[in-house]
Amino acid sequence: MLYLPGDGVLHRLHPLTKLAGALLVAVAVTLYPRPPLLLGVMALLLTMALAAGIARRLLVIALGLLLPLIISLFVIQGVLFPPPGAVPFATFGPIRLTYEGLFFAALIAGRLIAIALAILLVLLSTHPADLVAALTGAGLPHSVGYVVLVALQIAPDMAARVGAILDAQQSRGLAVGRGIARLRALPALVGPLLVGALGDVEERAMAIEARAFLASGPKTSLRVLHDSAVQRGLRWLMLALVLALIVLRVAGMRGVL
Amino acid sequence: MKINITDFSFAYRDTSRPALRALSLQIASGQICAVVGRAGAGKSTLCALCAGFIPQFFAGAVRGSAQVDGQDVITTPIAQLTRHVALVSTNPASQISGARFTVFEEVAFGLENIGMPVEEMRSRVEWALDAMGIAELGERSPFALSGGQQQRMVIAAALALRPLVLVLDEPITQLDPHAAESLAELLRSLAGQGTTILVAEHRLDWAAQLADHVVALDDGQVIAEGTSAAVFGDPLLAERGIRMLNTQRAAKPLVAPTATSATPLLALDSVSYNYPHGVAALHNVSLTIGAGEQVALLGRNGAGKSTLARHLNGLLRPTSGQVMVAGQDTRHISVAQAARHIGVVFQDVRNQLFARTVRDELRFGPRNLRYPAAKIEALVDAALDALGLREVAGEHPYDLPYAMRRLVAIAAVVAMDSPLLVLDEPTAGLDTGAVERLVQLCQQRATQGSSTIVITHDLDFAYVALDSLILLDAGKIALDAHWDTLDASQRALLDAAVGLPRALCFV
Repeated sequence: MLYLPGDGVLHRLHPLTKLAGALLVAVAVTLYPRPPLLLGVMALLLTMALAAGIARRLLVIALGLLLPLIISLFVIQGVLFPPPGAVPFATFGPIRLTYEGLFFAALIAGRLIAIALAILLVLLSTHPADLVAALTGAGLPHSVGYVVLVALQIAPDMAARVGAILDAQQSRGLAVGRGIARLRALPALVGPLLVGALGDVEERAMAIEARAFLASGPKTSLRVLHDSAVQRGLRWLMLALVLALIVLRVAGMRGVL
Repeated sequence: MKINITDFSFAYRDTSRPALRALSLQIASGQICAVVGRAGAGKSTLCALCAGFIPQFFAGAVRGSAQVDGQDVITTPIAQLTRHVALVSTNPASQISGARFTVFEEVAFGLENIGMPVEEMRSRVEWALDAMGIAELGERSPFALSGGQQQRMVIAAALALRPLVLVLDEPITQLDPHAAESLAELLRSLAGQGTTILVAEHRLDWAAQLADHVVALDDGQVIAEGTSAAVFGDPLLAERGIRMLNTQRAAKPLVAPTATSATPLLALDSVSYNYPHGVAALHNVSLTIGAGEQVALLGRNGAGKSTLARHLNGLLRPTSGQVMVAGQDTRHISVAQAARHIGVVFQDVRNQLFARTVRDELRFGPRNLRYPAAKIEALVDAALDALGLREVAGEHPYDLPYAMRRLVAIAAVVAMDSPLLVLDEPTAGLDTGAVERLVQLCQQRATQGSSTIVITHDLDFAYVALDSLILLDAGKIALDAHWDTLDASQRALLDAAVGLPRALCFV
């Protein structure tokens, strides 16, 4: 779970407003990868992160995710295979550095960073339960929302179970050693994990049915999401902008405009 | 009649033996009905039936009729029935929805599904948490609770639905005696307000004092029905193995701990433990266990019993102090090495069982200890006999009923022939016949000079099967005494913390 609690403006925005914003960023930088736009968007997103008190975590996660990708991008596009016809400004053996190649790599990297920042900003400032509540409110099937939330909690659930199994089997003299010995220990560890998971599926299905999971009719949510006319207007505006950007871009490619 | 079942029979799909046979049951509004019977008698099937899960969730052949709160539970969709009846099944951990991040939200899950307005939902959840005594856990993750706390949470989730009919399948397996007593009080007050309650339970003493009406099941049939006194006085029950544990201790001479010169099996010296997140779980715990000692480790939910158990074989190492296993510091040996001296059986048998047959499961431990083949077979045979599992040695552990699976898990550690055996809540969910097996096991170990530590909420079992007790309270040893020499103040201390075994209640 990425969410960091906070009570700034970003945290208080309706999840759908934030999602619409992230969508707008993603569409804009994909269709119009101009350096001023990219730099402007990144600066804006970082400012919002700073104001929300989540900039540090945002950068750590974004860099961790993207740095390997960006490095390989520069190596491939900028250094090893520059665009055909580009004139190198420096040559080291087989490596030819070209402005065009580096520029191209920087544009792609900029796009990736902007999109990643936008999405992470939503995830870091929105409790996953709020996000799912907002999406089910907007028409996402209840069952899909349930699966998403279960998936989010499955890691701590599994970790606890693996720990308990390790405890139980080591207490029966199982040496969880290194190398081959570790492989030998596998059936005694994986067996209970699978049996437990399968057993849980039926019992959990029964438990949620007993709690009216399949009831028809409107459902409510304990999570009260604050929305406002301004935010609703903003969302429609951003969606309209997304549409307009796409139309303009397609028209531009066809030479209509 | 709130619950009206007539001549009902049911066989699960792919089984030939019916789980319920020509069962008829009438329960009036506001009544508490206890269902008792041995493991596999059909209690859980009856509970599932009353909440609409048969045959809609568990397919099979149905005959007869069943109505709950005027609804035909055989045909009415389960979702619709949730407005009339709420069911809590046996295993609390697997009844967590998994889609909610706090206990408060988890308890609200069912209310959200029926579309209750938020204000009303909040007050319902607060009431239910308060009724189960877990109001202070509202913001915790459902996965970060102890077993007893989880059990209270899943009951709270059912209570929050304010059902007219409440069905509870073994609701006290993980509760400490005081929590079980408060649940009984709560159920009585709900019944007083008109809720009809059906409760299946192995703890017959608890069921007997709670219920207005008792139904004894055997092999899917009602064999006795009526008031507690009438049903439990019926000789047919004892004949069919439905009986309370004999609560008297076998008279045993007090043996002073032997072998002052020899190294004790286990010695804890001023052990303190703080969890990484800062919670102090044990404080200055010192104890020794010598050969042949049979000790109960008692304490309320959250007193530190499980943390202490994990120290005994080095799964946890003390923050300060020392744990010596057969003269070796657990800091310097692996858990697998400690297993030669100490075998531990944890509560959840699913974390342990994996082999294809019971016999293979029992071989696993002694093999890990690298005993010669002939010795392994001898140990396995002895353990099979000790737990009465000889007849099912060739079966798959998961084909056995739950109670027997637990005996298999215990036998698998007994087969390691460790001088000290540690059992964590071994009697939870067992019928009296299986509990008596465990009593015999402890008595047998005592005569062989092997030692046993049992962590338990089951005070009658602790009193009958074991010689002494250690009471943990908030991570400290509050009492370390022999059952036969408890004085009045020690009894009062024990009573205040966890209650007393029935045999000591009127001393």
